[in-house]
Amino acid sequence: MPTRWPAAALALAAGLVVIAGATTGLLLTRHGTPALRPPAPGVGALPAPTGPIVAVPQSATPKPVAAPVSLTIPLIGVRTNLITLGLTSDGELQVPTSYTIAGWYTGSPRPGAIGSSIIIGHIDGHHLPGVFWRLDTLTRGDKIYVKRADGTTVEFRVTSVQEYLKDHFPTEDVYGPVPDAELRLITCGGTFDLATGHYLSNFVVYATEVG
Amino acid sequence: MKISRLTRRLLMLLAASALLLGIPAAATAFASSATMGTGWIRLAHLSPNTPAVDVYLYSFGNSNAMIVLHHVAYGTVSPYESVQAGDYSVAMRAAGASATSQPVLSTSVTIAAGHAYTVAGMGPESGLRLQVLDDKLTTPSGQALVRVIQASLKDQVVKVTLGSTVLASSLKFANVSAYQPVSPGTVTVTVSAGAGAGEANSSVTLAAGTVHTLVVLDGANGLEVVSLEDASGSGEPPLGGVSTGFGGTAGHGPGSPVPWLAAIGAGGLLALTGGLRLRRNRQLSTGI
Repeated sequence: MPTRWPAAALALAAGLVVIAGATTGLLLTRHGTPALRPPAPGVGALPAPTGPIVAVPQSATPKPVAAPVSLTIPLIGVRTNLITLGLTSDGELQVPTSYTIAGWYTGSPRPGAIGSSIIIGHIDGHHLPGVFWRLDTLTRGDKIYVKRADGTTVEFRVTSVQEYLKDHFPTEDVYGPVPDAELRLITCGGTFDLATGHYLSNFVVYATEVG
Repeated sequence: MKISRLTRRLLMLLAASALLLGIPAAATAFASSATMGTGWIRLAHLSPNTPAVDVYLYSFGNSNAMIVLHHVAYGTVSPYESVQAGDYSVAMRAAGASATSQPVLSTSVTIAAGHAYTVAGMGPESGLRLQVLDDKLTTPSGQALVRVIQASLKDQVVKVTLGSTVLASSLKFANVSAYQPVSPGTVTVTVSAGAGAGEANSSVTLAAGTVHTLVVLDGANGLEVVSLEDASGSGEPPLGGVSTGFGGTAGHGPGSPVPWLAAIGAGGLLALTGGLRLRRNRQLSTGI
């Protein structure tokens, strides 16, 4: 049956090619991709926003402050508009659908009013750095500006940067009442769990209004 | 001998995979806001017949004042100041008196990290004292917290209601009621001093997650009530942390080798089948 010869030879050849190709593929994919690390603070820094910096004087009848519209962190090159975020039906904090924009939790005080105001943003997208990629490089004393709907800007200084495992998130420390005008910026970080597609930790930047 | 070498290899492999699986995450240090080491203090003048004063805050043992509030009149409550946890002293001098003169009154206060305090001059001038109040910074979920400071000398016993809730039925001059949780909303505060006496009404908005102090004062005409928002947070605290990352900048381990191994296996099968058929064909052809 000489007609079978080419088919059999073809199968043998194809099999060997597949083995060679797959072995090459296997060997080429045995290394991982290292984490992309953000540049040092100061690289790509932005100027502080212009316009009046307004601290609302505290009094028995404080004037209501306007809603926040944008956030600037000059040292790490963050300048973003702010969207509004609520809670999901599960009671968790909504996250922005875009990784390039940050959002203010409307259930928290407005930035510059008495209390702990909450702004969150993504550390990254599926491939690229997100708006809060460099958040964990901030240190005590760094400046944060929030512009409000009435055109006024409020200035904050970082007091502390903390990393918490999401399983041990200190809800009271982050969301609980405080007696002065404070800001908490929250993003993800730490180990990325491939199984769930989530980071295991949250970074929280605590900041206080410059009075 | 061979078995023990195999066991050792297996153990090494296990140890290596434990490292890869990110067990070091458990070693990260965690700190609460209390470990930032700061607390809050505010100063108040709530003695009706005491003239204006200068109030000094000293870090304990340091004769240079950290904060000086000049000409603080009756009814004034300062904003909170954030200070390092530790021991402090508060002194009151007559308005305009020299900073080195003997204070009219002084007291010590220990500020714990993450806690807030009001140091108020209270009582009649003849019995003036500095009282240190512990100010709460936590609310029951979805509720507001309210207390009353009674600083009216004209009407020494008052009843304070918030809507239909009685905050204090007979609160005496220079006393402070316990905190009471209330439902959020805009309600009317009513302060009354009994039949025929003065009454004060005021509308207050109490948001969930806020702490308030109502101060009953002697006004120019009868009673006055001032509502202070002491602290504020998220009325509905979100559950748990936030999911703010897709992993695009995270490091990734090597992908699974299974598809490659399966392809090698399939290639092997294909080559084997072809090879066998080839051999059989050759045998057949030589047989003829």
